[in-house]
Amino acid sequence: MRPDNVEVRTAEHTSGGHGDAALAVSTGARKPARGNLEEGGVAPTRRPGLDPRTKIVLVVLCSAVVMGSGGLRFVPAVLVLGTTLAVWERSWVRAVGLPAVAVALWVLGWVLPLWWPNLLTATTAIACAYLIRFAAAIGLGMHLIATTSPTLLAAGLRAWRVPRAVSVTLAVMLRVFPVVASESAAVLDAMRLRGLVGARGLARHPVLGIERFTVPMIAASLRATEDLSAATILRGLGSHRRPTAMVPPRFGVPDLILAVAVAILAAAAVWMPQVLA
Amino acid sequence: MIGIADVSWTYPHADVPSLQGFDLHVKTGECVVVCGASGSGKSTALRLMNGLVPHFHDEGVLTGTVTVDGIDTATAQLDDLGALSGTVLQHPRRQFFADTAAEEIAFAMENLGFPPETIRTRVAAALAGLAEVVPLDQSLQRLSGGQQQQVAIAAATAHRPRILLLDEPSANLSADAVDRLAATLARLKEDGVTIVVAEHRLRYLEDLADRIVVMAEGTIDTEWSAADFRAVTDADLSREGLRGHVSAAVLPPLPVAGASAAAPVPAGRVRSGGLELEGILCRLGGRTVLDLDRVAFPASTVTAVRGVNGAGKTTLARIVTGLQRSTGTVRLDGKQLSRRARQRASAIVMQDVQRQLFTDTIASEIDLAGTDTTEAIDTAAVLDALDLAHLTERHPLSLSGGQQQRLVIAAVRVAGRRIVVFDEPSSGVDRRHLQSISDQIRQVAATGAVVLLISHDEDLLSLAADQQLTLTPPEARKNAAGLGPTRQEAAR
Repeated sequence: MRPDNVEVRTAEHTSGGHGDAALAVSTGARKPARGNLEEGGVAPTRRPGLDPRTKIVLVVLCSAVVMGSGGLRFVPAVLVLGTTLAVWERSWVRAVGLPAVAVALWVLGWVLPLWWPNLLTATTAIACAYLIRFAAAIGLGMHLIATTSPTLLAAGLRAWRVPRAVSVTLAVMLRVFPVVASESAAVLDAMRLRGLVGARGLARHPVLGIERFTVPMIAASLRATEDLSAATILRGLGSHRRPTAMVPPRFGVPDLILAVAVAILAAAAVWMPQVLA
Repeated sequence: MIGIADVSWTYPHADVPSLQGFDLHVKTGECVVVCGASGSGKSTALRLMNGLVPHFHDEGVLTGTVTVDGIDTATAQLDDLGALSGTVLQHPRRQFFADTAAEEIAFAMENLGFPPETIRTRVAAALAGLAEVVPLDQSLQRLSGGQQQQVAIAAATAHRPRILLLDEPSANLSADAVDRLAATLARLKEDGVTIVVAEHRLRYLEDLADRIVVMAEGTIDTEWSAADFRAVTDADLSREGLRGHVSAAVLPPLPVAGASAAAPVPAGRVRSGGLELEGILCRLGGRTVLDLDRVAFPASTVTAVRGVNGAGKTTLARIVTGLQRSTGTVRLDGKQLSRRARQRASAIVMQDVQRQLFTDTIASEIDLAGTDTTEAIDTAAVLDALDLAHLTERHPLSLSGGQQQRLVIAAVRVAGRRIVVFDEPSSGVDRRHLQSISDQIRQVAATGAVVLLISHDEDLLSLAADQQLTLTPPEARKNAAGLGPTRQEAAR
C-alpha cells in the first residue's frame, strides 16, 4: 500500500502548479486508491442514511405540525417515525426510551385523569398534552443530531444556498455541543472523586454546587474551543472561498422510502380515529 | 519560505512580551526544530508562522515583519495562510471538526474548494495509510491520544501544504508511534515540504532536522546545524533544559493474569496485598477493552501502566477509581470496595488539570480537599513543598499549567487518597519540570498510596516508576492466539 501513496505525492510535487497538481494526482492515483479501499473496507464515496436536507425538512415539518393547533392528531405518527429511525440507526436506548416516555405521558395525561379525576391530575393532563408533543419532536431532532456530522450539515445547507453566516454557525454549534458535553463529563468525574457530587451537598449549598461545576466546565470548554476555532479558521471554514464536498449531498432511495412512509403516516393520522384527543 | 525579522509580540493582557527581537529564516524544503524550555516562546513562534499571531489575538502588539512564501502575514487572510501551511496543534483532540477520520481529512480540502474527486482520492490514500494503527470506523473523540495524533497529521497534510507546522507532536505518542511520526515527516520532507517542529524531545528528529534552534525568553539563544547537533551531548542538552536521547525505561514487570496483559502469568503466581483486581472485564461499544483475571498493585509503589494506544490504560484507571462500571471485584488491603467506595478512596491527576479546579483561591481549593479527611495533614508544608505557598490567594485558573498541576497534586495529598492515578502528567514538559513532577509522584507514593502512572514518557517512567504493567488490546491478543479471525480475515 505504502509505495502507491509515495508515488502519488511525488507525482504532485514534480508537476508544479497547485491546481494542475490536484488533477494529476486524482487521475494518477485513482486505481491504487480504490484498491486500497477494497482491502481496507472504507469507501468515502457513498453515505448511508438519509440526505441531511431530508432530515432537516422532516424535523422542521414534523415539529411545526405537532406543535401547531390540532397537532395531537399527528403525535402518534411522529412517534412511530422517530422510533423507526432510532431502530434503523441502531440507537437502542432511544428506540426503547422514546416509546416508553410517550406511554408514560399518555398514562399520566389521558388514563389517570379518567380513572382518578381531580385538580392535580387535570393539571398534569394539560402539561402532558404539551410534553408529549415535545417528546415527539425531540425524538426526531435527536435522530438529526446523532446522524448528521457538522460537515454533512454544512454541505446540506450549502446545497440549499443558505447564507454562509447561517450554515457555518449551525455547523459550529453542532460541533461545540459534544465538546461541552465531554468537558462536563470530565468535570463531573473529577467532582465525583472529590466527593462534590451528591444530593445532600447540592441541597445544602445549591449555588456553590452549581458554581463548582460550571466554572471548571466553562474554563475547560473555552480552552478546548479556542484550539478548535483556530484550527478550523486556518483550514478555511467560513472563508471567502467556495467550498466543495467530498461526497456532495444527493437524494437517494432511503429519502424516497421516507417520503412514502411520511405520506402514509400523514394519511393515517388524518383519516384514522384519533388516539390522543 | 518563511522570513521572520526582528519580531516582538505581546499577547493581549500580558505584562511581558512572549517574543522579543526574534529572527528566523527558513528555506524551502528545510526542516527546522524549535526547542526550548516551557514558556520560552516556541509555540508562539509557530503561531507567528501560520498567522494565528496576530490574527487570532485581538489587541496583541506585534512589531517587525513575518513573510510566508512571500506573503506578509499581518495583512493576509488566515485561510490563505492556512492553504499554504498545515498545522498540528498540541492537543489533536481539540482541533478535530469532524466525527470520522475520513471527514476530518477531507475538511480542509472541502473548505478550500478542491474538486470532490481529488478529495476522495486523497482521503482514500490517507485512510489506507492510517488503517494499520487507527480503527477508522470509530468516532475520533473515542480514539486514544496517539491515534488522534496520527489522524491530525493526516488531516493537516491532505491539502498538500508547502509548510507543515507541528507543536510538540510526540507529546502523547508511544515509542512505536514516534517512529512512525519520524517516518511520515521524512517522507514529507523528501517531497519538498518545509517543516517546522516545536519539540522537547529531540533525538527522534536528529536525522531529519537541518537546523535546531534553541529559544529562551522569547528569542533565539543557540542554533545548531544538523552536524553540530549530533556532536552535542545529552548532558549539554539537559543544561539547556532539553530532552535528548529517550532511552526506554527498564522496569521490572508486575505479575498479571488475563487477556489484556502483554505477558500474562498464571493467576496463582499473582501476589496479594495492596490494591487487588480480580475478574475485571469491561466492554464498551460492543468491544472488550479490558480483560484482567488477576493483578495486585502494591501500596507505596509507583506502577507504570504502559501499552500501545488503545490497550485499555485509561479504562483501567477509570475502573480502579470507580468511575467506570465493570464486572469483577476490587479490593484494597483485603477489603472489597464498591464503585462508590473506590471513588471516595481515589484521585486522578488529569491531563487537563483545569477540569479539576473548583474554587476561587488556592487556599480554598486546599480547604475543600481537606474537608473529609480524618488524619491531620500539614497543609502549609504540602504547599511549601510544591512551591505554591506564596500563591495562596491567587485564582487557580490564573496559574500556569505546571502550577495548576502542582495544585491538584497538593489537593490529592491533603485529601489523603489511597489510590492515585497520574494520567500523562508530563505531556509537554521540559526536562527541568520533569524532575519535579517525578519527585511529586514519588512523594505521593511515600505517603502509602497505590500510585498508577499512565505515561508514554520514557524519561518520566525511568525517574518515577518502580515497576510496570504492560497492557495490550485484548481482542488483538485473542486473534494472535488463534482464538478468533485475524485482522485480514476479519476485513474480508
